[in-house]
Amino acid sequence: MVPLPVANLMHHKVRSVFSAAGIGLGVCMVVTLGGLARGTLFERAERWESVGADLIILPRGWGSSATARSGIGLSDRYAAKVAAEHADIVQRVVPVFAWPIRLAGQDQQAGGIDPRDWPVLSGGRKLTAGRLFDPDGVFSRWLEGRLLAPAADGAAEQEITAAELGDPNHDGLELVIDERLARVGGWRVGQTVEAANHRWRIVGIAPQGVMLRVFLPRRTAQFLFAGGDIGHSTLMFVKLRGGVDVGPAARRLQRATGQDVVPLDAFRGMLVDQFGILFVYVYVVNGVALAIAFLFVMITLYTMVLQRTREVAILRSCGASGWFLVRAVLGESLLLTGAGTAAGIGLSFAAAAGIEAARPLLTVSITWKWLGVAAAAAAAGAALSALYPAWRATRIDVAEALTLE
Amino acid sequence: MMTDTTNILVAEGLHKSYGRGAAAVHALRGVDLRVGRGQFVAVMGPSGCGKSTLLHVVGLMTPPDAGRIVLDGRQVGCAAGERNALRRTHVGLIFQRFNLLGELSAADNVAVSLRVRGRAMDGQAERLFEALGVAHVMRRKPSQMSIGEQQRVAVVRALAHRPALLLADEPTGNLDSANSEALLELLRRVNRQDGQTIVMITHSATAAAAADRIVHMKDGRIVDAPR
Repeated sequence: MVPLPVANLMHHKVRSVFSAAGIGLGVCMVVTLGGLARGTLFERAERWESVGADLIILPRGWGSSATARSGIGLSDRYAAKVAAEHADIVQRVVPVFAWPIRLAGQDQQAGGIDPRDWPVLSGGRKLTAGRLFDPDGVFSRWLEGRLLAPAADGAAEQEITAAELGDPNHDGLELVIDERLARVGGWRVGQTVEAANHRWRIVGIAPQGVMLRVFLPRRTAQFLFAGGDIGHSTLMFVKLRGGVDVGPAARRLQRATGQDVVPLDAFRGMLVDQFGILFVYVYVVNGVALAIAFLFVMITLYTMVLQRTREVAILRSCGASGWFLVRAVLGESLLLTGAGTAAGIGLSFAAAAGIEAARPLLTVSITWKWLGVAAAAAAAGAALSALYPAWRATRIDVAEALTLE
Repeated sequence: MMTDTTNILVAEGLHKSYGRGAAAVHALRGVDLRVGRGQFVAVMGPSGCGKSTLLHVVGLMTPPDAGRIVLDGRQVGCAAGERNALRRTHVGLIFQRFNLLGELSAADNVAVSLRVRGRAMDGQAERLFEALGVAHVMRRKPSQMSIGEQQRVAVVRALAHRPALLLADEPTGNLDSANSEALLELLRRVNRQDGQTIVMITHSATAAAAADRIVHMKDGRIVDAPR
């Protein structure tokens, strides 16, 4: 025979479809909003984790906020000091000057780097097209010469025009962007883009998944975004020698520099700390969405029980136990939820594709784990929302409902 | 207590009231009724005399305020679970409005009543569909059946688990005369052929005439109960 819950749902098709759709929307919100928050955040964490270094030196006291900060942080002297005084454990120190640059309609954290440090920062990956900027260091030497060498009147030169920066003989206004940004912007090597009040030439395309989406010469970044101060960077990566323990090395460098030194793999946790409020927001929104969805289911089931008082009474008159009725109502709730969850998961994939199509730099991470969490939450919600209607079903007075006379 | 093997139902001193205080309605005022095994009893009386309440009480759908009921030799207690269990195993019900589940086919209506009783569709149910002439509507939903067919399916449902006592509440109330006659003939047949005990509530003297014995009720009391 057709199971009673199935027969009931099929008998009220429109109501069943609307109820399942309500649950589907709730599940879709759980999966998609959570996936968007995690995907966008963890995609960034994964990119940083791809750097071929072991430690990050951060300005003291920045803590987790370092993940969101840019500009002047550390004197470049630390790079030389750490490399020279801890050469027994340190293989290389890589300073990075970070600064947000608006490209493709949104701020991108750009990294001012020295091209020789590319192998470390890219984790050994090669550009997929073009070349790195300032490959032979001509621009760096030129800028250092202009800014650090005393001028005729004894003061360092500070006035450098955009035209001088972009002089083809030592072009300092060059960018390397990653494949994803290139795809979003429709950019290729050789094209120029306007950003930060300057016109930049794209000289290389980095593979997707490298630390940042935009790279530029560190000297240019320092000059433009640190008020001409080319003696400071934002942070430094440290690559340790083979076999050196990360923990003790971090503590030693922290003592020696007085700055915060954290393992690279702590970056993900720092990101979560910094943006944890985002998850709170997402979870609250999801909770509300699910609560509304299941309130909807509860009202549907409750209405159904009230509308079918006579049917429930018929079952009761046949001797149906309370548990039989509870199972029937619970069965309907779980069926509605199952259908809604399946629809919601399908909708989530569609929403993720839509979001990534509309905002290609966002990542929606839909994982089995979170699909499972959404399904489990939906099942729990189904059970809870069925309880009251089921209880009402068991309380129906058979004699009264059947009005026998 | 000695086991009563001749009576399937013994009701003694049944009282039942609805409401409280001045608004209280005394539906049953000390009803005594004995129904022997294999008897076909019709309960007649004017509206409001307590016939339906009597059926609710002896059908174990509602407990009496006072009095005792012995069903198939077992004294019925007050616990809802016990009454429910006894109703499940010992009682079959036929209603004036048939009360089939609209979303289920005729076969599934019977199957679900058996499932409630922890049983599956068996030969007895299929034989009843055949015997009552509704085998051809087994796959149809109530909305696709005639009134007479619906009532006969309701009878199949009520008898499929071989109840000790079949209670029928105005079973011909919604039927035309031809269907009424057919249903009464059917009830007579299951009573005579299978020894099925039947208690039927009815307004109709014609319907009551099908029974072996007619009990009259008035103002919550049985006024005439020939054995």
